[in-house]
Amino acid sequence: MKKAVSVMVLVAVAALTIFCFGSVASAGEEIKMVGVITKIDIAGKDAKTATATLKDNKTEQLVVITVEDDLTLDKFKDHRIVEGDEIRCKYEVIDGKNVSKLFRKTAGC
Amino acid sequence: MSKKTTAAAVLGLALAATTAWAAGMHPGKESIEKSGYKGPETCEECHPGSAKGFLDTVHWKHASKVTNVEGINAKEEYGMKNRIYVMCNGNDIVNNLKEIPKSPVTGKSKFSGCNTCHPGNHLSDVGSTGAAAEAAVDCLVCHSTDYDFRQRKPFKNEKGEVVMGQDRSTKAALAIGKPTVKNCMVCHEAAGGGVIVKRGFSFTKDTDAHAAKGMVCVDCHKAKNHKMPTGHDPNNWANDGVFVSCSDTSCHGVKPHKDADLNRHCAKIACQTCHITRTGGAFAKDFTVWEQTPDKFYEPTTLKKEANETTPVYAWYNGTVKNTPHFIGPKGSKKDGKSKITPFKIFQGKAYYNKQTGELLSMDFAQPMSDGDTRAGVLSAAKTLGLKNPEKIAKEAVPGWQTIYFGSNHLVTKTKALYCANCHAPNGVLNFKDLGYSDKEILKLTSPELFMEKLAQKQKEDW
Ligand code: HEC
Ligand code: HEC
Ligand code: HEC
Ligand code: HEC
Ligand code: HEC
Ligand code: HEC
Ligand code: HEC
Repeated sequence: MKKAVSVMVLVAVAALTIFCFGSVASAGEEIKMVGVITKIDIAGKDAKTATATLKDNKTEQLVVITVEDDLTLDKFKDHRIVEGDEIRCKYEVIDGKNVSKLFRKTAGC
Repeated sequence: MSKKTTAAAVLGLALAATTAWAAGMHPGKESIEKSGYKGPETCEECHPGSAKGFLDTVHWKHASKVTNVEGINAKEEYGMKNRIYVMCNGNDIVNNLKEIPKSPVTGKSKFSGCNTCHPGNHLSDVGSTGAAAEAAVDCLVCHSTDYDFRQRKPFKNEKGEVVMGQDRSTKAALAIGKPTVKNCMVCHEAAGGGVIVKRGFSFTKDTDAHAAKGMVCVDCHKAKNHKMPTGHDPNNWANDGVFVSCSDTSCHGVKPHKDADLNRHCAKIACQTCHITRTGGAFAKDFTVWEQTPDKFYEPTTLKKEANETTPVYAWYNGTVKNTPHFIGPKGSKKDGKSKITPFKIFQGKAYYNKQTGELLSMDFAQPMSDGDTRAGVLSAAKTLGLKNPEKIAKEAVPGWQTIYFGSNHLVTKTKALYCANCHAPNGVLNFKDLGYSDKEILKLTSPELFMEKLAQKQKEDW
């Protein structure tokens, strides 16, 4: 019985390890944060990329996020998203850049 | 000017303008460039009556008569203006746009109100009429592709009145066209209290087969005189009296498939059931307990998911709506000959009920947003609505849950559409028992006998 349990634990540990490695290898780690935009840098109407500097609510640190999706870029261009807005953001570190996977205003009801 | 000369002038302007029309540009552009944009009156030169007509639509009134919902007054108008439910536990009246009390922590205030999603300027508000209202319509929020949203913010004027700003620049008026997805999403994206909260309504090439084909909202919601066709969502009551459905002859008709088996199913199963297999957004909110956010203001506690992350619930729906304090959703049955199995997004919300009458109460969000005091919100709303003994009502109010069903009418897929084995299996997506099928019927409906030969043949062809 004892043995069975420890085998199961082992299997579980192995599964967990595989699971963790699996997710790291396939997608990189997704980091979540909520913060206020202190600065948006975008080069004109046709820009295909932009950066937004967010002040992390938890750590108070400034994080520079690279935004590449058209919907969010468009919201920068017509100022639906502006400095001072609070953002819920998910990003991944790719080649040293914090690339946004989700970038949304938190505003509620 | 007499009527005739006005008509001639309009015709002249319009004729001069039609040359540009052929080039795909708004024919009014040159004229607007010359005289500048002064609001709807500029448009009225060539589109007479459009502002006045707009005042008689759901988008201006946030209400209409409603005929398919039980327990309401057929003579009254209902909509976001005055409804009470638990996706947003208030309405335009109790949550009229205003500055909320200062946060006791930061000393800061902010503007809040449901009627920010209205194309007026708040001085001319939801349902207002007359010349001032006509002049206040924000035509460009729906028609310009060059709108500066920094202008579309509430502010206080010299008189201390709260005004909803608009971009009335000539620059914006030079980029006129039929509404794009973005124009509609200015308000629809964040309905329910934040991006995709209410329905997981994302309309992108990844989430919707029609968006992937480059279609826009008004390709289906084709409006005449600003009356916008809608469907029969059990929680979107207000309508302009015009409707759109997938099986309209101008869209797909009632027999859209080459496969006769699929077409046969359309008699009992709504198109959405097979073609909209996911929903998303918020699935539960608590309006009795608000959470403090990092800016020290408060928001109702909300649990939510992404656009395509939740599975719908399936129910028979005949287009009429059950409406009680604890449930708002579809009516229908297997036997009534009119209902179809239809997918819904299910949502549950907790809010306060009137202890005496058992009715759902509404809440003014200003006070709770400032310091989390939800009963103060109930008190303010009860006062605004003129309820008797508002203090007593607020003090005794009882927390309770309401379940509501939202129609699931976008996020359409062809490639992931449900096929025979998705339903006809013991672990299929439909709960045949809940849908009213007998044990004997269920045995038959969950057997591969129904599709074995067909799918075996298909498998052979595919390989
Ligand atoms: C000088 C005349 C003129 C003025 C001013 C003008 N328009 Fe037009 N507009 C036209 C003509 C002509 C057409 C094409 C025929 C039609 O649909 O009536 C048109 C078409 C449109 C269309 C249909 C576009 C489409 O692609 O289907 C919209 C929407 C529109 N106008 C909105 C406006 C708005 C909003 C204003 C005010 C900012 C305005 N127009 C001002 C002349 C004008
Ligand atoms: C960001 C824009 C926006 C804001 C702000 C907003 N709404 Fe709405 N609301 C909508 C839209 C768009 C619809 C209709 C479409 C839908 O239901 O998806 C709607 C529909 C409704 C309905 C259903 C109306 C009907 O005809 O049955 C109710 C009730 C409602 N809202 C309540 C509220 C309340 C209460 C607030 C404020 C606390 C609020 N809304 C704020 C955009 C908004
Ligand atoms: C809530 C969004 C909205 C607002 C605000 C709005 N429109 Fe429209 N408008 C539409 C839609 C939707 C159509 C139909 C487009 C279609 O079906 O191709 C339309 C069509 C038009 C057309 C084409 C002819 C017609 O009537 O169908 C004109 C002209 C027009 N609008 C002018 C105006 C003017 C002027 C204003 C301001 C007084 C205005 N619109 C405000 C959404 C809006
Ligand atoms: C200024 C904000 C705003 C804009 C812009 C807007 N809507 Fe709406 N829309 C609303 C609100 C709020 C409601 C709900 C009103 C209610 O139910 O009381 C609504 C309701 C609707 C409805 C259901 C009721 C009806 O009138 O049939 C449809 C369909 C709709 N909108 C389509 C559109 C389309 C298409 C566009 C783009 C042309 C658009 N809306 C642009 C705010 C907006
Ligand atoms: C492919 C056609 C199509 C497109 C594109 C489309 N809709 Fe709809 N929409 C429908 C149909 C059909 C219904 C009603 C279905 C029913 O109730 O039977 C509907 C319902 C609605 C409703 C009522 C509430 C609900 O969700 O049922 C709103 C609001 C709405 N649409 C807004 C929009 C907006 C905004 C866009 C663009 C972002 C859009 N629609 C794009 C077909 C479309
Ligand atoms: C029982 C499930 C089911 C129902 C109900 C259903 N469909 Fe389908 N539909 C499918 C499947 C599965 C496919 C994909 C077939 C394929 O890929 O060859 C499909 C394909 C389609 C296509 C693409 C056809 C083509 O040749 O590319 C359209 C359009 C369509 N459906 C519209 C509708 C409409 C409109 C309704 C309601 C009147 C409806 N469907 C009801 C399952 C269904
Ligand atoms: C969305 C779920 C769904 C899908 C997908 C689906 N069915 Fe059905 N099917 C049903 C339901 C529900 C009924 C019962 C309808 C009624 O009450 O008359 C049914 C009935 C049938 C019947 C009649 C059974 C009887 O009572 O004799 C046959 C045969 C059948 N389906 C075959 C198929 C085949 C073949 C496919 C694939 C092409 C398919 N179904 C896809 C839900 C589905």
